[in-house]
Amino acid sequence: MKSFFLKIGLVCAVLLAGVLSAAALDGVVVIVNKGVAANSISAAALKNIYTGRTTYWPDGQNVDIALLDDETGTTDVALNEVSGMGASYFRTFWQRIVFSGRGQQPDKISDVASLVAFVASTKGAIALVPANADLKGVKKLEIK
Amino acid sequence: MKTMKGNTTRRLASVLLPALLATFTVGPLEAYELNLGTNMPPVDFHGFVSQGFLNSSKYNYLGNSSQGSFKFTEAALNASFNPFPRTRISAQAFTYDVGEAGNYDVVLDYAQAEYTFNDYLGIRAGRIRRPQGIYNDIQDVDVARTFVLLPQGIYDARWRDFYASLDGGEFFGTIPLQRAGSLTYEIYGGMVNPSLDGGAALQIRDSLPASGHLDSIDSAAEFGGQLWWNTPVDGLRFGVAGGVVPVFNFNTTIQIPGGSIHPNNRNEAVFQQYSAEYLWRAWTFQSELYFRDYYPESAAPDTHLLTWYGSAAYRFNKWFEAGGYYTEYYGDTHQSDNSLFYQKDAALALRCDVTEWWTFKIEGHYIRGTGLLEDTANNPVQNGNGWWMLDLKTTFSF
Repeated sequence: MKSFFLKIGLVCAVLLAGVLSAAALDGVVVIVNKGVAANSISAAALKNIYTGRTTYWPDGQNVDIALLDDETGTTDVALNEVSGMGASYFRTFWQRIVFSGRGQQPDKISDVASLVAFVASTKGAIALVPANADLKGVKKLEIK
Repeated sequence: MKTMKGNTTRRLASVLLPALLATFTVGPLEAYELNLGTNMPPVDFHGFVSQGFLNSSKYNYLGNSSQGSFKFTEAALNASFNPFPRTRISAQAFTYDVGEAGNYDVVLDYAQAEYTFNDYLGIRAGRIRRPQGIYNDIQDVDVARTFVLLPQGIYDARWRDFYASLDGGEFFGTIPLQRAGSLTYEIYGGMVNPSLDGGAALQIRDSLPASGHLDSIDSAAEFGGQLWWNTPVDGLRFGVAGGVVPVFNFNTTIQIPGGSIHPNNRNEAVFQQYSAEYLWRAWTFQSELYFRDYYPESAAPDTHLLTWYGSAAYRFNKWFEAGGYYTEYYGDTHQSDNSLFYQKDAALALRCDVTEWWTFKIEGHYIRGTGLLEDTANNPVQNGNGWWMLDLKTTFSF
């Protein structure tokens, strides 16, 4: 029995390894519409947004997630970091939310410039974009 | 037999060929956004249409599947918008046909208004989707899962009129637990309105004697909740759900020599469900355990139902996903050795996302027991020997 609990403990330790760390978005930054009051966001709060648990900014604006939907999956790794889901499962996950009436599907934009322009013109919008993108008209959120 | 197979092939082709033609001739399906004016938020529209095919080696399950059944259709159209800060209004129309259930009746699936005070607390009212486990509120959304058929002991494709929605309201929210993750809750109450074309009605009719008739099913109050612990391990969550229907009543007439009788069918139903889900890299692991107990007002004995499943699915790339599950259903735990009351099902499925808006699935089952057939008239001889079932399904969504 003692060894059974030891094995359970080891499994839990393995599962916990590598979690609880802040999302490290290598080469990708988080941008929002300039009307969003925040200048920074915690990894946990970011995850709540990308998993549909937070649907409004603190001032009541609707959170509008926009995704870069290009052929090469430029931001797929970062999306996995912030949501805990691969790109395919992320799509399925949001279809669940949409068809159960619990949220609004993320907007998909096919290129970086259009994505930045969308965020600049859409109240409450948030997106992941490559760090070298021209961020004209949007605000970059620091991850705490 | 040759003619029957020929008909089946033709009917199969009649579904698949339009799907193929649509793929090459129609542009990509995308969500539609209706702009109401410069100061008004847009209205988003989404929808889907699914067509399935079921073919079993022995019994008629979810329709006349022993001959190949196309009576496996689902379609929905929804609209949503955010008219004010923190406020959201959404509605969905839905129609389905699974064997003898549904019959393409168009129903208002949900029509709800919600206000979110903050992350911790929100309120939703109207006709709402009832949360229960991983899939109850999305059990008819084919694109939201790997499999054609979810484990039917918990998510019976025929019973959605009873399980999916209720007229009432709920509180919902997420409570942070710092390094321990977070808790997501939904607590609901309202009225369920079973249809005479739904799964509950089919099961009741199946249990009546030949001289019996189901006259009506009363609306029933239901109260319950769903709690999820989103653990600090990415992708790992555990859930518990529970609920009670204090009075479930249906009205029947049984013809007897010299007249008729109306038995007391009132009973209380209580359920509980335990869930675990882990998303790890390209894998999805899920397992759920469900209990439902019926306590009749009459002298009839209590009934205790138990069912569980374990599943695993692997996403190879953006096009292909494969998965399997094993599930056991015991309609009455007092008769767990009786094949008329249990059903054990091993399933393997392959999902192909041909495009973002077109999905195709193929699935095989090996089943022992007949506890979920609920169609004695079309399955007069039943035993515990194993049988096979093939499922195909295609879905268009936007």
